[in-house]
Amino acid sequence: MRVDPEPTLKGAETTLNRFGIHAFVRQDEVMPTPYERPVPPAEARAAERRAARPQLTRPAEGKVIAGVAIGLAHHLGWPVRWIRLAFVLISIPTGAGLVAYVFLWALTPQSRGGVVGRGRRAVDPADADALAKAGGVPEPVTGAGERDATRVLLVGGLMLGIGLVVVAQNAGLNARLGILVPLLVVAAGAVLAWSQLDDSQRGRWLGSETGTRRFSVARLAFGGVLALTGLVIMATRGRSLAAIWDIGAAVLAVLAGVALIAAPWALRFWSDLRHEQAELARATERADIAAHLHDSVLQTLALIQRKAGDPGAVTQLARAQERELRSWLYAGPSDSDATLATAVVEAAHEVEDLHGTPIEVVSTGDRPLDDGGQALVRAVRESLLNAVRHGAPPVSLYLEVGPSGVEAFVRDHGPGFEGGEIPEDRLGVRQSILGRMERHGGAAKVRRLEHGTEVSLSLPPDLRPPQPVPENDHTTNAQPPTTPPTNVQPAAEETREHA
Amino acid sequence: MNTPEKKPVEVVLVDDHRMFRSGVRAELGQAVSIVGEAPDVDAAIAVIRQAKPPVVLLDVHLPGGNGNGGIDVIHGCKGLETVDGQPVRFLALSVSDAAEDVIAVIRAGARGYVTKTISATDLTRAIQRVADGDAVFSPRLAGFVLDAFGAAAGEVAQVDEELDRLSAREREVMRLIARGYQYKEVAKELFISVKTVETHVSSVLRKLQLSSRHELTAWAMGRRLL
Repeated sequence: MRVDPEPTLKGAETTLNRFGIHAFVRQDEVMPTPYERPVPPAEARAAERRAARPQLTRPAEGKVIAGVAIGLAHHLGWPVRWIRLAFVLISIPTGAGLVAYVFLWALTPQSRGGVVGRGRRAVDPADADALAKAGGVPEPVTGAGERDATRVLLVGGLMLGIGLVVVAQNAGLNARLGILVPLLVVAAGAVLAWSQLDDSQRGRWLGSETGTRRFSVARLAFGGVLALTGLVIMATRGRSLAAIWDIGAAVLAVLAGVALIAAPWALRFWSDLRHEQAELARATERADIAAHLHDSVLQTLALIQRKAGDPGAVTQLARAQERELRSWLYAGPSDSDATLATAVVEAAHEVEDLHGTPIEVVSTGDRPLDDGGQALVRAVRESLLNAVRHGAPPVSLYLEVGPSGVEAFVRDHGPGFEGGEIPEDRLGVRQSILGRMERHGGAAKVRRLEHGTEVSLSLPPDLRPPQPVPENDHTTNAQPPTTPPTNVQPAAEETREHA
Repeated sequence: MNTPEKKPVEVVLVDDHRMFRSGVRAELGQAVSIVGEAPDVDAAIAVIRQAKPPVVLLDVHLPGGNGNGGIDVIHGCKGLETVDGQPVRFLALSVSDAAEDVIAVIRAGARGYVTKTISATDLTRAIQRVADGDAVFSPRLAGFVLDAFGAAAGEVAQVDEELDRLSAREREVMRLIARGYQYKEVAKELFISVKTVETHVSSVLRKLQLSSRHELTAWAMGRRLL
């Protein structure tokens, strides 16, 4: 996706304003007390209390059913076992414990960072004291695996069921067994299905790994089937098959009706949700842009204001910032592979940053960076340094990578060499440009133009073409037979004018 | 071509940044007279239709219209002629040198493309060149052209009329422009007249506008031109 640059900038500008103002206000707040805000005594006391009695939440780990008992234990500072026992005990005669459990389950939020108080124990002595007083041995909460929990759940459920049956029979409700069994089945199914809802992150619900996901779906399906079976048994007790069909048809009709009525609402809800998510994504992107502009453009603008008296520095800052912003706006995710073109462009930017002279860079084609390429990049850099030091702007660099080889031209508009000779102080040019290129099988020429000097550098085509047997060094890379004269022509001319 | 005796070229300046407009107005000398300004697409079309200038300096990114900026202005002024019977010509001007923007605005009909960092003298020269019906290529645009026509990769047209490739001479001219040569220097380098250089550049411009090369159409598609 390519973002139209202007609208993006404009949208960012408004965000930027807000961002800037916001940052300003915050700074103002902090200004009077730059080191540390003193904590008001009331707040401190509240914090202490909070630390001593952790919030009632259900931990995601170490739970048996839904983690209500553990959460309650942490909150009250009692041993978990007692609480579990109490739940079971008050469940047996009337089922009140069950109701309470479900009630707490529904109302208690799940904690995010695993077990409550676990992280705090190390840092907060008050909390540690409370825990020591409460239970002594900390629950092996994290160690309890899924298998363990399931086992305990099964055993507990079974015992609960047996107890209920026994109590019911004692009370002379023998005939109700027909209801009780399906009811238990429904409850078990519901627990299984609902326990999925508990994993608040959708990631776990859908499962990031296929294994977890399959397990989740299986659990959900099993729970659903169990609950449905229970309901059907309950509803069809003692009726004929025909009656069941009738009821089934009626139920289906009702369900279809409900679905029909609810569908628009559901759709609307879904689209609202999607819209909200898109909005959020956009807001995030906008915040990213604002942050980037704040770090780059605003800083540079501030610097420019401070250096307003120095035109050279201002130009340099503006150029560097422009380049940075441009690459951020237009360049996609750059591939990490070093290529010749990117290396040459980078060298040009470096020289520009060093001397503040704008360099117009134009490049076409590209190829991987090899030894010869490295030499070319260094020679280009040296030529550019010469151009900005001894020549006059505009300085331009043209790089062409094609099947006939690599050519680079560095041009300035200075007075050039006196008398067409390379002066004494520029003997380095011979070594760092001419010599270097020749060592790598390339060539370099310096020529004087009417206005300025042009250094042309060339490398032969990549000698490691896809096809392993090069027949002829000059025409290997599938170059059309008609082209060589045009490709060679400028080089020939330059040889003639070689300084 | 740069004769000071000529009467000033009338120009309409279209740009949504007021600061930039006043800057250009202050910079451009006697050779150019600005007869109108507009900050957005709709105002631009109205002003250009009324003033009928030989040259419009057109920002690529503009608010209004169908959201395509300068391209909408060019489309909105299609077929418009000056009092002398010359077509109204557009010189695109932008901070962006993204290939999509450049190629798209040229294909829409602009006679040339320069970046906003151009010096005042170069801009004046470019305006005069466009007024004379020639094309204006910056080094970067020449680079794009070499890329887009596969010229850097060695593709060369067999006959000059071929729209999808550059002829050998056109390629040479483009390469020299990309190296930062002025038209005059190109002419000297290739032992041809400046007029011939201008002819080559205009023919490249025509190919750029009419060719159906995949690269060019893909770039134009990016700006919803086709």
